[in-house]
Amino acid sequence: MSARSATALRLEIEHTLERSFPAALTPAQRTVRETASTGIAEVDALLDGGLPVGAISEVNGPESSGRTSLVLSFLAQRTAGGQVCAWVDADDAFDPESAAANGVNLRQLLWVRCRNVGGPAKGKQAAKPWTRLDQTLRAVDLLLQAGGFAAIVLDLGDTAAEHACRIPLATWFRFRQAADRARTCLVVVAQANCAQSSAVVALECAALNPQIAGGTVLRGFCYEVRNERQRFTPFAMGQRKPPASTWQAAGASDLEQSA
Amino acid sequence: MSQGLYACVHAAEFPSQALLRLRPDLQALAVAVLEGRAPLEQVCSMNRLARRQGAATGMTRLEAEALAGQNHGLRLLPRSLESEAAARAVLLECAASFSPRIEEASQGAACALVLDIAGTERLFGPPRALAERLRNRLIAAGFRTSIAVSANFNVARMLAAASRGLTVIRAGEEAQALASLPVALLNFPQDHAETLAVWGIRTLGELAALPEAELIARLGQSALIGRNLALGTHTHAFQPIEAALSLREFCEFETAVEQMDSLLFVGARMLDSLAARAAVRAMSLASVVVDMELEGGSAHRLMIRPALPSVDRKFLLKLMQLEIAASPPPAAVLSLRLSAEAGQSAKVQLGLFAPQTPEPSRLDVTIARLKAIAGEDRVGSPVLEDTHRANSFRMSAFVAENRPAEEKAVRPRLALRRLRPPLAIRVALCGGQPTIFNDGRQSYKVTTSFGPWRSSGCWWSMDGWESDEWDVLAEPHGCAQVACLLVMDRDKNEWRLEAFYD
Repeated sequence: MSARSATALRLEIEHTLERSFPAALTPAQRTVRETASTGIAEVDALLDGGLPVGAISEVNGPESSGRTSLVLSFLAQRTAGGQVCAWVDADDAFDPESAAANGVNLRQLLWVRCRNVGGPAKGKQAAKPWTRLDQTLRAVDLLLQAGGFAAIVLDLGDTAAEHACRIPLATWFRFRQAADRARTCLVVVAQANCAQSSAVVALECAALNPQIAGGTVLRGFCYEVRNERQRFTPFAMGQRKPPASTWQAAGASDLEQSA
Repeated sequence: MSQGLYACVHAAEFPSQALLRLRPDLQALAVAVLEGRAPLEQVCSMNRLARRQGAATGMTRLEAEALAGQNHGLRLLPRSLESEAAARAVLLECAASFSPRIEEASQGAACALVLDIAGTERLFGPPRALAERLRNRLIAAGFRTSIAVSANFNVARMLAAASRGLTVIRAGEEAQALASLPVALLNFPQDHAETLAVWGIRTLGELAALPEAELIARLGQSALIGRNLALGTHTHAFQPIEAALSLREFCEFETAVEQMDSLLFVGARMLDSLAARAAVRAMSLASVVVDMELEGGSAHRLMIRPALPSVDRKFLLKLMQLEIAASPPPAAVLSLRLSAEAGQSAKVQLGLFAPQTPEPSRLDVTIARLKAIAGEDRVGSPVLEDTHRANSFRMSAFVAENRPAEEKAVRPRLALRRLRPPLAIRVALCGGQPTIFNDGRQSYKVTTSFGPWRSSGCWWSMDGWESDEWDVLAEPHGCAQVACLLVMDRDKNEWRLEAFYD
């Protein structure tokens, strides 16, 4: 009886406030968005399941902050599912051995190695990476238009932030639309935010401390990941700092011990 | 015993047809074809427009050039036996799609094929319908032909050579159909031809009307054969040829071609023809080799190999365009030859729950475009080499396949970001441990170092290596700490910054 009266009361209030606040007391329906696991439980927990499918995700941070390890772990999950992925490398920095060690099925990976026309960049050429950036963006555009890739990594990890930030917003909007249509996870590895509002998730990586075994061997690293931005998640009251979590990446010595 | 039925396809002026078939830009012009060694070339073939302007077989080059001077539209082209061979193969392919029994009856500058079409009514309808379909097919392939159908092999052959368009002769009407044709069609020896001319015999009808015994008494057995031919009663033992599938097209340019658009314009027609010929046999093109003869005597070869055999003309043309764009010929092109390998048409079984993969034909075009952007050897799947040498891999072609999901748990590992090529650095050592290093742009203060880890191999060969590796934690000036991989090459005695841990 009391429940019925509560329902009637809610309907009455909503009817009264209808012009100002439509459905004021009815909780908004939450859209379930598809996510793909990163293979790191701590990061998945931070992201409510993983990186979003059909959207742009940014993994930012300085060198040695664990960005590449995190993205390789994500790719390992995608390729293990029989899906194909692509790595568009603006600086030719991808290491296939590290990818294989992280579990990435290299046969399922298309690697595009962009370069400066006329050989490696030297001197003043290195300070003007527009050819490589242009190649990289065109390659990503083509791959997104082709469709069928579960994940595409746009690796701008060694590109200076001031250069990456000059990529026009229109390009990111186009990538966002194309990724949405193709149901592709577009992961951008960079030193700082460059996709701006087009990115659904922006992770900030940082190295916490190295793990040393016996004082002579670099055993691994402990990294911190902060969720700087995640669209489509309900706003949490009283939250001042972005949520963060830590995770560990093992070194080569750990692999030998486990083997 | 069922009566035979033959259809003869006659392509007159075949040398000029073979040259113009793939050149629509020249088809509206008067063209004469020259053969022989310079400067003694003679006109051996021409199209109808050239004949109207006064060109004739046997004209010398000077006469032809004088005529071209008077008629500015007349073009003179050298004869290409290779183009004729390719065109003949196409003609044979088209004919073979209507009957497997074909005999060649070419004479002079014409190419003639006689098809045994007995028993094909249920497949292609009455003889006239078959002849129309055959002619349309040949027109689509770029040939102008005349076709004659008759129950007699020789009647079909002679009527096709002497008439235009379609001619269908019913059984018993052969003599009447041949009556008005000239005696010259029978190719009598010179003395017999002169005798007949003296007698006033000019047509086959007049020859057929002569009494048989008297004719043999005066001219011998060859005259009897001629008379039977004129009556349409001469029998012929059919000798079919085997039409082997040879997917080749050749086009020789009048002048050297430098622009890619012009090459593709001709290449598109050639691809069309190859695809159509493969499709007739329910096959597709598995690979196409493009050979270009270049100015200066060199050659340039390209290979188009789609992931799945295809007869999609647009798709193949796009692949060809991208392939040429990725490795353009270093000089102007004199001739273009396309050789294709036939393959079974692609059959892909898609699964309802299989993971989504890129569409193979679309992926081919995408990869070709990526190669045009980044470079031929910079797009593909990495394959690790079976060695302990660091950074050893090769690029292989990327093939998107539906592979079953693999369930394996791998812990996240430290990944490297390589510097290609590695940076040469200067290192300051203290107690055998690196303390400071400089890469030419900034200097790093080493806070912790681990190593050295010695690595060596292939000492028995020229490409051996021996190096000491160091994992170091370093602080560049004013920046956060980084983890790097330093290598001391013991062979060259130099330090390199190989990679960053990330």
